[in-house]
Amino acid sequence: MAGDVRFIKGELMRKVSYSVTRLQRHGYVFILPTLIFFSVFLIYPMISAFRLSFCEWNLLSPKVFVGLKNIKTMLHDTRVINSFWRTIHFSGISVAAINLLAFAFAIMFSSRLIRWKNFLQSMIFLPVILSIVAVGVVWEYMYQTTGLITIIFRRLFGVTIPWLVNTRVTPYAMIIIYVWKAVGYYMVIYIAGLLDIPDSLYEAARIDGAGFWGQLLYITIPSLRNTITLAVVSCVIFSFGQFTIQYVITKGGPSRSTEILALLIFRQAFEFSRFGYSAVISVLFFLSLLIFSLIQLRLFKSGAIQG
Amino acid sequence: MVSYRSKENIQRIILYVVIGAIGFAFVFPFFWMIISSLKLNKDVLSLPIRFFPPKWNWRSYRNVFFEFPDFDFPRYIFNSFIVAVFAVLLCLFFSATSGYGFAKYKFKGNNLLFTIVLSTIMISFEAIVVPLFILVRRMGMQNSYLGLIIPESLTAFGVFMMRQFFYAVPNDFIEAARIDGANEYAIFVRIGIPMAKTALLALVIFHAQWVWNLLLWPLILISTPEMRTLPQGIALFKGGYNTPYPEQLAVSVIACIPILILYIFLSKYFVQGITMSGLKG
Repeated sequence: MAGDVRFIKGELMRKVSYSVTRLQRHGYVFILPTLIFFSVFLIYPMISAFRLSFCEWNLLSPKVFVGLKNIKTMLHDTRVINSFWRTIHFSGISVAAINLLAFAFAIMFSSRLIRWKNFLQSMIFLPVILSIVAVGVVWEYMYQTTGLITIIFRRLFGVTIPWLVNTRVTPYAMIIIYVWKAVGYYMVIYIAGLLDIPDSLYEAARIDGAGFWGQLLYITIPSLRNTITLAVVSCVIFSFGQFTIQYVITKGGPSRSTEILALLIFRQAFEFSRFGYSAVISVLFFLSLLIFSLIQLRLFKSGAIQG
Repeated sequence: MVSYRSKENIQRIILYVVIGAIGFAFVFPFFWMIISSLKLNKDVLSLPIRFFPPKWNWRSYRNVFFEFPDFDFPRYIFNSFIVAVFAVLLCLFFSATSGYGFAKYKFKGNNLLFTIVLSTIMISFEAIVVPLFILVRRMGMQNSYLGLIIPESLTAFGVFMMRQFFYAVPNDFIEAARIDGANEYAIFVRIGIPMAKTALLALVIFHAQWVWNLLLWPLILISTPEMRTLPQGIALFKGGYNTPYPEQLAVSVIACIPILILYIFLSKYFVQGITMSGLKG
C-alpha cells in the first residue's frame, strides 16, 4: 500500500518534471496570433512610415525616393510647426486639467461622509461612454453665438465669448470638451488606486497629527505614484492623438488654430495626396510622443508593471 | 461631541453640493442634446433660451430616417454594429489568449515579447494610419468590413489588462487540472476563461465604446456611402447638408444609446475590471 503511493507519487513527479520545459512552450501558441497580427498591422506600418517618409508618393504614380527632402521641407513648414505647438498646447493643458480634476474628484469620493457614490460617479463618467462625434455636435451647438454656453457666460460675466471663431479662444473650447469627455475615466482609475491604500497608514498619520493636507501630501500622493504615472502617460498618448473633436467642430480653424497633428497627417495624405510628406509628419508625431513617454517613465521610475 | 457632529454635517452638505453641482455639469450637455432635439428648428437658437421646448417636436426623430435621401441612417447603424461586434470579439480573443500565455507560461523570451507588445501602446493609431491604409489597401481590404474590423481589434491595452489579471490569479486550479491530465487548451477554455469573466466583460465595454466612436479609420478606409459607419455618417450629416440642429441632435442621441445600454448592464464590471486587473498600477 505504502509502496503503491510512493510509486504513484514518483510517477507523477517524473511526469511533471519531464513536461515542465515542454509545457511552458505552449505559451508560444497562446501568444502567436497576437504577435502575428500586432506585427503586421501595428509594427510593420510603423516601420513603413519611416520608409515612406523618404519618398514622394501620391498613391497613383510610382513611388519616388527623395532622401531627406521631406524632412527638410517639414522643418521649415510653418504649417507643421504650428500644428506641432498646437498639439503640445492641447495635450499639455488637457492632461494637466484632466488629471488634477480626476484626482480631486476621486479624493472627494473617498470621503466616508457621502453616500450614493455609484450614482454620483456615473454622472461624471457618463461623457466617457457617449459617442464623441455626437458630443461634438451638441458642444458646437452650445458654443454658437446664441447657444447655451455663450449665453450663460454673458449672463454671469457680461462678456460674449467667440468660442468657435477666435484663434485664441477656440483651442480652449476644444480643450474644455476633451476634459469633460475624459475626466470620468481617469477618476475611476484614481478611485481604484485610492482603495488600495491601507487604512492603517492614514490612522498612523492621524495619530501623528497629520490633517487632511498632511495626509494627502505624505500618504496619498506617494502611495499613488504608480497610478499617477500610468494615468498621466496614457492620458498624454490619447490626447496627443486627438482628432475627432477638431475634425467634427472646427476642421482645424479658425486660421489653423486647432489644426492638431493628427488632423494635419490626415489632410496631407487624404486631401492633398502627399503620402510621403504625411508619413514624415507621422514620424515626427511618433518620435515626440515616444521621447516624452520615456522621459516621463524615467522620471517616475515606476514599477507600474508587476511581475 | 455635538459640535463635532454638526461640523461633520456641514462638511457633508458642502460635499454633496459640490459633487452634485459637478455631476450636474457633466450630465447636462447630454440632457441638452435630448431636450434640444425635441425643439423646432426655429426654437433651437432663439433668445431668450428656454429650457423646455415651447412646442414639443418629435418629427426630427422620424425625419432622420426618411427625409434625407443621402443619409442612410439604418445602414450606418447596421455597419457600426457589425464592426463593433466582430472587433470586440477579436479583441477578446487576442487579449485573452496572449494575456494567458504571457501570465501562465515561463517560456524563453516571455518578458521581451511582452515588452514589445506593450510598447505598441505608444504607437498611436494616428501615427500609423497612412501606412496602415496603404497596407490594408494592398491586401484588398479597402472599403470592407474586414478592413475596418482587424485594425480596430488590436489593442495592447487589452493584452496588458488580461495579462495582469491572469498573473494575479493563483495557479492551483490549473495545476490540479494538469495532474488530472487535461490538455493546455482545454484548461484555458474551461478554467482560464470562466475565471476571467469580469475582466473580459470589462474589456467588452472598454473596447465596444472605443470602436463604436472611431471616426478616423472609417473616414480613410471607406469610399462608398453604403459602407459608412455611424460616426462617419453623423460627421457628414453635420457638415455636408446644412442640416437643421434638431435633426443633427436626434441622430446624436440615437448614436449614444447602444453604448449607454451596454454600460448600464456592464458598469459594475467596468470598475471591477480596472480595480482587479491592476490597471491602476
